[in-house]
Amino acid sequence: MSGRRSSSRGNSVSEEEINELISKLQSLLPASARRRGSSQASTTKLLKETCSYIKSLHREVDDLSDRLSDLMATMDHNSPGAEIIRSLLR
Amino acid sequence: MAHCGGGGLPSRRPGAQLQQETAVESLCQSLMLDDVMLHDGRYRAICGAFGGYLQEWPDMSSACYAGGFGATPVQEVSNGGNSFSCSGGGSTKRKSDAYLDAKGECKRPRGKQQVCELDQSSGRGKPEKAKPAGTRKKGDVAAQKQDPRAAGGQKTDYIHVRARRGQATDSHSLAERVRRERISERMRYLQELVPGCDKVTGKAGMLDEIINYVQSLQKQVEFLSMKIAASNPVVNFDIVEDLFGGRRLGQACSPAAATMPMPIHGQMDTSCLQMQQMHQPAAAGFGLEMVVNNQYTPAQSRPLPAATPPPVSAGASVESCLDVNGAAAWDIGSQNLFSGFDAQFQQVQSDCLLDNLKMEM
Repeated sequence: MSGRRSSSRGNSVSEEEINELISKLQSLLPASARRRGSSQASTTKLLKETCSYIKSLHREVDDLSDRLSDLMATMDHNSPGAEIIRSLLR
Repeated sequence: MAHCGGGGLPSRRPGAQLQQETAVESLCQSLMLDDVMLHDGRYRAICGAFGGYLQEWPDMSSACYAGGFGATPVQEVSNGGNSFSCSGGGSTKRKSDAYLDAKGECKRPRGKQQVCELDQSSGRGKPEKAKPAGTRKKGDVAAQKQDPRAAGGQKTDYIHVRARRGQATDSHSLAERVRRERISERMRYLQELVPGCDKVTGKAGMLDEIINYVQSLQKQVEFLSMKIAASNPVVNFDIVEDLFGGRRLGQACSPAAATMPMPIHGQMDTSCLQMQQMHQPAAAGFGLEMVVNNQYTPAQSRPLPAATPPPVSAGASVESCLDVNGAAAWDIGSQNLFSGFDAQFQQVQSDCLLDNLKMEM
């Protein structure tokens, strides 16, 4: 990732970078009601949330894909909607 | 010397986990009989791994910290969890590996089998750092005990951790170590979840991979939902009303809108995306007004005069409107969307519209 300052592989990664990554991850996670100044979000909790978030994202992708494929199946091929989808998929 | 087998087991709560208890009990007793004593440090290391799963019972973790560290290990678990505490300092280590394997089974059963397996692997992994892994002498016994262990979902109040040989023993280091072990447990789990994460080693690399993966998943979800949105006959998204208060665009009524699923929690509100040619000056700051309107017969009976391009500040306002993460993906997606609308746009003399769209984007 371009944003990350990569450390020299020989040395151990600095603590600072790890914290940076962790806060970045925290920002990605859906706002689980981040209390103001929740800088002390425990790493463990964070990692666990990431796990569940990834799983829920998986589920969501599957669900959306199913729905999309259903839509495509039922849709009239000449309708503009299908056209749009085809163009998107191109 | 009180041993885990002798000391802890009899007090365990009877009933639900009776089978496990007896299994564990017999195991430990057999170990005792064989005069296998676990090196304290080794055992403690294993116990430390349990901390990782205290996460799942948050109420326990405080109790664990309170009760575990620094205390003599002969605490009985209040609710009868089969937490072992091998007391007796300076126990010699014999057949340590075998015991360890058995110990791996002796761990407190957690609710989830997967967690249990992780437990065992981590438990074995840690001691191997200190000593080379030997042969499994009690492999049979260990394997035998696995099922009852995995099935149980006992919670323990206390986690007994003792310092490994040669390491600091103050409570802070112990707590720190437990915390570190917990974190590494979770990282391992994440490593399994995220494809391609096992190629990288080290916390930072894995974190990077995880971040990338989460972002790409989010983009994927956005894109998919946008496609679904686009495919509905008449989609009526109504951002503008909400955000700019008053820029009310006539909207084609859309039965689809009601059923329009925006399942993405928080990423896309129920607010709608409206793409429509409206007679508004192409002033930026009107926000995104796009109506995904497949029926380009101006079924909109409302007048569509010169197709003044709807001001499209796609990137920024869309994000703000839809509360969407990952602006880049949205931009890409919306660009695709727009290009797809070329045909329709031209129907309604929207050349300037398109140009403005592209300009804005």
